[in-house]
Amino acid sequence: MAKTAQEKLDEKKEKEYKKTHKNFYKTKPGDVLFNVLNYLFFTLFTLTCIFPFYYLFINTISDNDLVKRGLINFYPKGINFNNYLALKSVNDLGYAFVVTISRTIIATVLMVVASAFVGYLVTKQEMWKRSFWYRFLVITMYFNAGLIPWYLNFAMLGLTNKYTAYILPAIVAPYNIILVKTYIESIPGELEESAFIDGASHMTVFRKLIFPLSKPILATIAIFGAVGNWNSFQDSLILMQDSHLFTLQHRLYIYLNQSSNIQSVMQSGGSAAVSAMEQALNAKVIKYTISMVSIIPILLVYPFMMRYFEEGIMLGAVKG
Amino acid sequence: MKEEKTEIKGALGNVYIVQRIAILLAVIAMFFPAFNPARICELISENLSLFTSAVSYSSLTDGCARAFRMGWIDESVFMVIFVASIVILLGIILGVAGGCMSLGNLKMQKTGLLFSMGSGLLQIAGSVIHFVSYTMAQNAENAERVKPIFANAIILYIVIGVVVFLVSVFLFIKLPKPDSNMKYEMESKYKLFLMFLPFAALAFVFCYLPLWGWRYAFFDYKSGGSLSMDNFVGFKWFAYLFQNAATRNDIVRVLRNTFAMSALNIFTSWIPMMFAVFLCEVKNMRFRRFVQTFTTIPNFISWILVYAIALSIFSTDGFINTFAKEFGLLAEDATGTNYLMGNSFTWVKMWLWGTWKGVGWSAIIYIAGISGIDQQLYEAAEIDGAGRFQRMWHITLPGLTPTFFVLLLMSIANILTNGLDQYLVFKNAQNVKTIEVLDLYVYNLGIGGSSIPLSTVVGMFKSVISVVLLFGANGVSKKLRGESII
Repeated sequence: MAKTAQEKLDEKKEKEYKKTHKNFYKTKPGDVLFNVLNYLFFTLFTLTCIFPFYYLFINTISDNDLVKRGLINFYPKGINFNNYLALKSVNDLGYAFVVTISRTIIATVLMVVASAFVGYLVTKQEMWKRSFWYRFLVITMYFNAGLIPWYLNFAMLGLTNKYTAYILPAIVAPYNIILVKTYIESIPGELEESAFIDGASHMTVFRKLIFPLSKPILATIAIFGAVGNWNSFQDSLILMQDSHLFTLQHRLYIYLNQSSNIQSVMQSGGSAAVSAMEQALNAKVIKYTISMVSIIPILLVYPFMMRYFEEGIMLGAVKG
Repeated sequence: MKEEKTEIKGALGNVYIVQRIAILLAVIAMFFPAFNPARICELISENLSLFTSAVSYSSLTDGCARAFRMGWIDESVFMVIFVASIVILLGIILGVAGGCMSLGNLKMQKTGLLFSMGSGLLQIAGSVIHFVSYTMAQNAENAERVKPIFANAIILYIVIGVVVFLVSVFLFIKLPKPDSNMKYEMESKYKLFLMFLPFAALAFVFCYLPLWGWRYAFFDYKSGGSLSMDNFVGFKWFAYLFQNAATRNDIVRVLRNTFAMSALNIFTSWIPMMFAVFLCEVKNMRFRRFVQTFTTIPNFISWILVYAIALSIFSTDGFINTFAKEFGLLAEDATGTNYLMGNSFTWVKMWLWGTWKGVGWSAIIYIAGISGIDQQLYEAAEIDGAGRFQRMWHITLPGLTPTFFVLLLMSIANILTNGLDQYLVFKNAQNVKTIEVLDLYVYNLGIGGSSIPLSTVVGMFKSVISVVLLFGANGVSKKLRGESII
């Protein structure tokens, strides 16, 4: 890019200024020390955040015999992916995956569409008793009947031990509705008005105009919703008795708390020759592998979605 | 074209309100097991609502397998009950449609009234069929085992049905005939409201309805039992909380844990802010980005996975022990230490895990805050000879104080809420006394120990105190900063 004469002049002036004030701009020893310590601290802290994931991962792909002897500490040896293949034979893990993946998709999609729609409706001043209904939704963020009444409510509605118990409560998310509403209010009202003048109905305006325009905020709440659903544990723990309906996190919780006896984790069948020690060891590696499998989706998605996560927290901060 | 005035005023409007309330009652009663007309014998679970009876035949016949096998009662009776429930359900749906249409113009109202009439008739018909099934149950081969009972809700639905029907007929006669070229129309404000209504209903069912569960605090309820005047105990459990020495000691211990861990968090809530301040001193944007990305990841994994990580690092055969063995710090055949067991420093350990998980994430908001501070302030300070730490102290920190203050108030408002997951997964036989926070105590008491009334009482206290604290914090914020935080 070509610089204008003015910019060139400014640069020259700045250089001259720095030359005459050399002492001021010289790096002082204190600064060097500070920078070294600062970089060192952040490097170490970042390592403590990354290393556990890395450690889990290298233990799942290394030779199981070396893992048993505790020799896999910093880098993998004898790389193989047999542990991941062995997950096929882990009891009920398949169900957990189906339940978790399906609920993550269904609940997130419904939540996003509902938040967008309700967020749009509550921006409409002419809605009957609008401010009352808006408050009706928002107040629910600030109180909570408690865990036991929450459970009893599901029991009363006959929703315990039902897959729908994962979906229905997730649809209306007041916090996300507030975020969408704030966003829609920032869209120029003239767009909507001109659509109404052209004879569009509320539904058409929502589908053709508001929904496409609010995509950035919808992406943000979708990501948060998806992570929340993927990590969901309490509802499965408290509401479900049928082990086929347990979520992945609940399954993992059960495996982690089980004795290291492999027989309790793996389907029995033809492995009588395997020694007890090997069984115990495999159970440990299998636990690592299951943990890894439930972390991987988040690790994969995360770097690409970082922007949305940050937007999300900022939106939360400015909400009125 | 001017929109037609569609609202009915005065007496007719009031009659309409009667009809709407009747339908609303039917809708609400449909979800309460106490008002289930389908429960005509004790074989049917008393926790079954009319809605469930109508949508799930398997739930309806849940406890009847033995009865069918032994021939106590013919399965056709249950088919009849199922059909009757569906008929009432259809009636209620039709009634809701009619009620919604009553907000429209004259033509829509007229059609809506036809719907409502149908609704009334269907509800009456369904209730009558239920009554028939009741008499069938009475005449069953082994009526003593089937134990037929007359469901009072049958009368309820007949009354609602009759009211809805009569009111609809009355209105239908009273309302003038609409023009033949009139179109179905509704005022925009009601249209918007009706579109909103299903979501309000969901919020009601899952956020407001649990409050109805507070009634368990006043009964001597055992899991699987029922609530009736027989086991109504008034404020017994509230008094029990303070009078029973063992419970009182538990509560004191649990509150100490709760306050200790919340206090640790509150007193160290400046850490994310300092994290952000020092991270912004890193001038290499690549490195800064790298740190920011990887320190926020732990926030997005569940506590179960944090526990899995903790196990892999700190358990007997985890990283710390194998590392020590590899470098000769620990004998090759020694049994390692499980650092997760043990009862020492539980509060600090839990705080460390929380900080490891959350600090990077909490720092983001401060990082954004710092980038919002006017750069000219720094330049001016630099020229005035302010050093790095002076700039932090006099410019950055004052710039972040409002954010810090809001977050601090919020954490004080949440002092009783530590969350359940973390303490549940890290709990073990040795640290159970020091790790049990209020949320975990309620869970152990209600779900684990099945003392539902007592845990409901504890939960009630927690909810009420939390709301009071929240509004208190909001009041403080309003007074000091003139801004509310909720």
